[in-house]
Amino acid sequence: MQASPLAHHFENIEKQSHAERLGMWLFLASEVLLFTALFAAYAVYRYLYSDAFAEASRAIETWFGLVNTVILVTSSFTVALGLNEAVKGNGRKTGLWFAVSVAFALAFLALKAVEYSHHFQEGQLPGRYYSFHELQAPGASLFFSLYFLITGLHGVHVIVGMTILAVVGVKAARGKYTATYHTPVELAGLYWHLVDLIWIFVFPLIYLV
Amino acid sequence: MADPRSIAHEEHQATHHAHGMRYVVVWIVLLVLTVVTYAASRVHLPGGWHVAVALLIAIAKGALVALFFMHLWDQRGANRLIFVTSLAFVALLIGLTILDNATRFPLANPPGSAGALPWGGADRDPPKLP
Repeated sequence: MQASPLAHHFENIEKQSHAERLGMWLFLASEVLLFTALFAAYAVYRYLYSDAFAEASRAIETWFGLVNTVILVTSSFTVALGLNEAVKGNGRKTGLWFAVSVAFALAFLALKAVEYSHHFQEGQLPGRYYSFHELQAPGASLFFSLYFLITGLHGVHVIVGMTILAVVGVKAARGKYTATYHTPVELAGLYWHLVDLIWIFVFPLIYLV
Repeated sequence: MADPRSIAHEEHQATHHAHGMRYVVVWIVLLVLTVVTYAASRVHLPGGWHVAVALLIAIAKGALVALFFMHLWDQRGANRLIFVTSLAFVALLIGLTILDNATRFPLANPPGSAGALPWGGADRDPPKLP
């Protein structure tokens, strides 16, 4: 038996969707501010140790970040296509597009793991574990502290977002959502786009400048 | 039935259209901008221009994602307001933090004493730890 998606305390499905969307945006705003705290820390230490930060940024492989940017942007695109199918009521195709997006997320994490193992071998580590011989300047270990904090927190978000996409994707493929009610598909997509949005700022700050 | 003039109803209408072509265009522009920002980081630019160019391109990409993938373009009212408010706080937090650091100078500690900053910032001559 399929329960109606409309909770009894809402007048109609449109108002319920509106409330759900509003709640999601509030949550996303708090996520933005969570990452902003780390970006502010980055700004301070970049200002104080500009030369060391520029050299540390040059010491890490840019292509990892570039490929991961392309992967995340493309996964955002496939999530958007999944929502597009949900709007038309094709739950099965939504499931397929979300599965493709999860595959991209796994590729992103795999590449990140390879990159992290590089840093561990080179000794590009935070604080007193820093033992990278080619760059011995005050502030260099701070760059890697922030690097691991920012990319680590972002990586946790990738894992969470990927799990949400998988759960909602399976539900969509089983026909849980209809053309009139598919707000969970939309909200899962919003979360994933935020993960992409944050990476769009992480990429230039860590890898390029 | 829903009031046809209500925000919830309009939002419902706006988000229940297919946007296939729009997504493709946004995706291609995002890929192009990714390549552009990479290329811009490889050419020689004076002073702090690398940071400025990279951040401008990142803001353009972020705006595309927020407006079209996240559908802020189609929404009205509270959802937009929440996101814009969070951006205002991002600007406050980062702007004021940088302003604070950029306008600091060693106040009462005479040069050479414990805790005194070297002239020209911490980058030039880090204090020796005992």
